[in-house]
Amino acid sequence: MSQFKYVSPKTKDEALEILQEKKSNACIIAGCSNVLPNIRDKKIVSKVLVDISDIEELKGIVGEKDKIYIGPLTTITELVNSEVILKEGNVLHQAAEQFADPIVRNSATVGGNLVDASPAADMAVPLLTLDAILKIESVGQKKDVQLRDFFIGPGETILQEDEIITGIEFESSNINKNGCFIKLGLRKAMAIAVASIAVNLEIKENKIAQVRIVMGSVAPTPIRLTATEEFLKDKEVNDELIEKAIDKVREEVNPISDIRASEEYRRYVSGILFKRAFKKLTLAN
Amino acid sequence: MKKLEIEFTINGKKRKFFVKPNDLLINIIRNDLFLTGSKYGCGIGECGACTVLLNGEPVLSCLTLAVTVDGKEITTIEGLARGDELHPMQKAFLENGAVQCGFCTPSMILTATALLKENPNPTEDEIRDYMRGNICRCTGYIQIVKAIESCVTGGKTS
Repeated sequence: MSQFKYVSPKTKDEALEILQEKKSNACIIAGCSNVLPNIRDKKIVSKVLVDISDIEELKGIVGEKDKIYIGPLTTITELVNSEVILKEGNVLHQAAEQFADPIVRNSATVGGNLVDASPAADMAVPLLTLDAILKIESVGQKKDVQLRDFFIGPGETILQEDEIITGIEFESSNINKNGCFIKLGLRKAMAIAVASIAVNLEIKENKIAQVRIVMGSVAPTPIRLTATEEFLKDKEVNDELIEKAIDKVREEVNPISDIRASEEYRRYVSGILFKRAFKKLTLAN
Repeated sequence: MKKLEIEFTINGKKRKFFVKPNDLLINIIRNDLFLTGSKYGCGIGECGACTVLLNGEPVLSCLTLAVTVDGKEITTIEGLARGDELHPMQKAFLENGAVQCGFCTPSMILTATALLKENPNPTEDEIRDYMRGNICRCTGYIQIVKAIESCVTGGKTS
């Protein structure tokens, strides 16, 4: 029978020491919305459940002049209610509003969504278009990791067994203020994305000064479409450009066929989602 | 497994329990407290039938470890009425035919009270959006939405 233990550290340092001691026997929990279904499915057995949800240092959203900090324990509800996120990282706000349902959002955390590392992760896609940086700590060590280097496969990240994400940061900038997130599911509510897209855009004199395009559920991890971004850079915005960019998007994604959709459909609809997001942003401009 | 002692307030009463680290709140509520209004539906956070209020906020008790509610306040559907006097939302559900088999009803009512606390004047779209994590197989949702709307238009916000 599965044996669990439960500990509830009150400080970040306490938590890090427990992780250093217990290593792969430890399982960090906070909102539990992914962990508990995994325990039920026996994907997680006999662990020390390290409940970090009381650690104040890991909470909060702080908007400074040049950057925005999000604590990993920030719930999706807190993102939805945050004026700072609405203004500085609107693409993340849009994703938070489409995340699961209001009840789950009260428990689910940004950190948990990133560490779970689904290729469809609804927080990862917009945070990647915001070019976010993760603050990661272990006992005696702190480092910054670009979010685009964090995911290495479905459900896999570079996070080591003695490490915790202690912060998520992105810049306050024009491009970060101007984004669009669209999630396509098999139904309106409670849907795991068949495909999702986030686009952040800066236009100067009708030319694309900067663009970031990220898609979820069309590759083993959420991906930046860097080839499409290169193609679009410095070009004038018109319908012909968008049609060409749609082809680039479809070439660049790498979807599979699964229970929700076929590879062909995902590839096709990626282009449509790009068109919708891009048009929404350029019409607004 | 070693049991841990927790103390929490449920429907206004303080209770102490010994729970295993992986005991779910829904099971403590139903099997140990015999408060069977909260339902075990899917067990994976998709249907909303297990919704309870934790420190006033709706959460899924099937995705809440019992050990994490130490020191907190829980309200189940049984805690809404005052003796024989039903809560306005409960009355509204009955008056509007929003109860058929009744399985989703406790969670619908709790979520709806949380909605009106957060947003006292929601549009129909806002109601449907907020309630999307609570699934009903009987009603087609129309009467449920009407019941919630009646608590708004009557000025009877909860």
